[in-house]
Amino acid sequence: MSGLRVEHATKRFGAQLALDDVSMTVRPGAIHALLGGNGSGKSTLIKLLAGVHRADNGRLVVGSASFDLTRHTPGEAARTGLRFVHQSLGIFPGLSVAENLALGHGYRTTRAGRVDWPAQRASALASIDRFHVDATPNTPAGALRPADQALLAIARALGNDDAAASVLVLDEPTASLPRLEVEVLFASLRRHRDAGRTILLVTHRLDEVLELADHLTILRDGRVVEERATAGLDHDHLVECIAGAPVRTAPRSARTGREEAVVEIENAAVGPLRQVDLTVRRGEVVGIAGLLGSGRTELLEAMAGIRRWDRGSVVLRGEPYAPREPRDAIAAGVVYVPEDRPGTGVFTGETLRQNLHAGAVRHYWRRGRLDGRAERRDARELVHRFGVRAAHEELAIEALSGGNQQKVVIARWLRHDPRLVLLDEPTQGIDVRARHDIQRLVRERAEHGSGVVYVSSDFEELAETCDRVVVIVDGAVGQNEVRAPRITAAVLVSRCYSNRSVPEEASR
Amino acid sequence: MTDHLIEEPGGSFAASGPAGRGIEAGGATPPASPAPDGGAARGRSVWPMLERDALVGLLAVVVIVMSLAKPDLYPTAANFRATMASQAVLAVCALAALVPLVAGQFDLSSGAVLGASAVGAASALGRGVPLPLALLGAVGIGATVGVTNGLLVTRLSINPLIVTLGTASVVRGLLDRYVGGKVLLEGIPTSLTRYGSALPENLWIGLPRVVFLMALTACAVWYLVEHTPFGRSLAAVGASPAAARLVGVRVERRTIAAFTLGGALAGVAGVLQLAYSGQGNPAVGPNFTLPALAAVFLGASAIRPGRTNVGGTIVAIYFLAATISGLNFLGLGRGVEPLFNGFALLTGVGLSSVLARRRR
Repeated sequence: MSGLRVEHATKRFGAQLALDDVSMTVRPGAIHALLGGNGSGKSTLIKLLAGVHRADNGRLVVGSASFDLTRHTPGEAARTGLRFVHQSLGIFPGLSVAENLALGHGYRTTRAGRVDWPAQRASALASIDRFHVDATPNTPAGALRPADQALLAIARALGNDDAAASVLVLDEPTASLPRLEVEVLFASLRRHRDAGRTILLVTHRLDEVLELADHLTILRDGRVVEERATAGLDHDHLVECIAGAPVRTAPRSARTGREEAVVEIENAAVGPLRQVDLTVRRGEVVGIAGLLGSGRTELLEAMAGIRRWDRGSVVLRGEPYAPREPRDAIAAGVVYVPEDRPGTGVFTGETLRQNLHAGAVRHYWRRGRLDGRAERRDARELVHRFGVRAAHEELAIEALSGGNQQKVVIARWLRHDPRLVLLDEPTQGIDVRARHDIQRLVRERAEHGSGVVYVSSDFEELAETCDRVVVIVDGAVGQNEVRAPRITAAVLVSRCYSNRSVPEEASR
Repeated sequence: MTDHLIEEPGGSFAASGPAGRGIEAGGATPPASPAPDGGAARGRSVWPMLERDALVGLLAVVVIVMSLAKPDLYPTAANFRATMASQAVLAVCALAALVPLVAGQFDLSSGAVLGASAVGAASALGRGVPLPLALLGAVGIGATVGVTNGLLVTRLSINPLIVTLGTASVVRGLLDRYVGGKVLLEGIPTSLTRYGSALPENLWIGLPRVVFLMALTACAVWYLVEHTPFGRSLAAVGASPAAARLVGVRVERRTIAAFTLGGALAGVAGVLQLAYSGQGNPAVGPNFTLPALAAVFLGASAIRPGRTNVGGTIVAIYFLAATISGLNFLGLGRGVEPLFNGFALLTGVGLSSVLARRRR
């Protein structure tokens, strides 16, 4: 069986030392987790292994063969037996399962050079079987469950490799998977391990690591800070190792529910949601838990004026509320932070200052021109207030890390003292420290009297942030609710996957 | 990523990279070290300054080299006047292409609209329509084509390249049916042609008046694009229509407005063309489109690198003109204009995409 060892890997980008003499050992036949915050160097390390970047120094040992990381190439990585599955799985939704596999393994052709479809399907069927993908060769890949798409990507990466001959490297495979799907994927990874496969897993989700990995390596600022067996570790200790200092979780008080209602939705329907009854009160953070495709995003979009309700009555602070477009929602004091940060959250190519003031430019329109001085002063003030880490406000937004970009988007909205804040996966792909900052900002906003709706796939995060969590079950919002002291990831998971609606009172 | 761009005392430059690249706090960076004042964000390193003024510098180099090569012909008042005036119309046409581009939309119809507006005004004047009305009509033709472009792009979601290529052809076709190949000379009053004339009694501070009209238009567009909420919302739509919608910008309206304004500016360029040449010639319009776009893209690499901007566009216009006229004097005139404009377009587009990428 082949294990994997990295020895003294060093990589410099300009003046920045991305990896500083990193050595790690992945034992053969084990699942090994690689952890670290954004900028810790874990992506760089994976890119070195894949041959995308060349190291300044370091060696890679796979099985008994040793390679020079300063001259490593993607071709050599493939010959070494390293198999990569990246976060964006590279699955073509419009093509069939067989075609997707063929793109990785090559098409089988007849002697005339035509694609040999029967042989192609037969080989696809064998792969599907071996990797437990729930599909037929002709199923369009886009119709597969997310977990099956991940399994398909793994099947394509591993091909017909012998379990002992190659190492599977997974870069954040669960970032977009709902919990149940994660279980399917994990079951498959455990099977691979038990068959003798070595697996290196990069992830942000700590509960997954504790559940799945045998060993782990934690990187911080380009150095290995810990490498050990997973057994006996707890979540808090991991967070501390990754963040480098104890991170205080957001303070949380269970609300009494007697505050004035900000928004009341009754008997409404939108997209996959057939019955929505939801009230959000001042000062309250209401979490929405549900599987991917359960209608979480549609719920927020309907409230933000991006899509229309199919039916129902919505009242905002006592007035009927029916926004036709986002600007109506904004005018009514309802703000929305979308899930797709690079696509719809930030303005790529514009500066930090312009991103902060987008939507508020009119505030700076004085006597026939824009008051640049006031714009810059306010931008600096917001950067400071919202803890954005940036040298100055004229930086291009792309120069900031994901977490800081998200803080900018959040600052853009929270500065206006909105009545209702809608957040869709606000911490996706963000490191632990920035995540805690954002959770704290959201809590503070609620303390100041806004109502907050918080959608997240990460149930730990909901448990840390929310006063109560509404679980979407079977297209219904409202009947299934968990209140603050008893919200835990485990409770939410069990609620999500129980197909019965359990009234809150009954579960006490 | 450690080029913090922090100003050191004594004016030495701490930056190791261009200002567009910045720092990304990897955990070790102190929180925001605010720039002392607005100007401090710029000019912290030699590189961005070089980049910003490269085109201006090149223009100066071209003028000096050509003047040394042809001291009797090139550095003369007559050549300066001719170059300034002949490029004024093109400059306004480039501004017409610039406004939709700020909102992220290509407009290939500017040249055709310019021609239609010039010929339309000439024809109206030939029929005795009063001058102000004829000029207003000419600008109106441009705005109408612009609105049509905008509606087709937004309401029917057709690719703007296709839409404006189509409307440009329709406009040319209508013009051809209406006036045939005729050049209209009748009834154009001297009160209009005076603005384009190079006769000494018509000059203002030694330059034909169209140059000042162009400068006035450029200032108006610059003010609108860079110093009003309207201009900022156009830029927001250009950067990301989806994000712009979420911050409350009416994306469709802004897009239509950008095309309309572009069309109207092309109409203004047509009026200047009529004043400059004293005739309505249906053949000249379409030749303006490519050099205009070339200047806008080349201009996006100067003054405010990586962004479509008015100052850069005007510098690019005169850089191209100075070079082309110089090469003509050197007897290298053959094919030099399309060659140069083509290279400028490719270089401009290439540079702006490199600049945009480097800011990541």
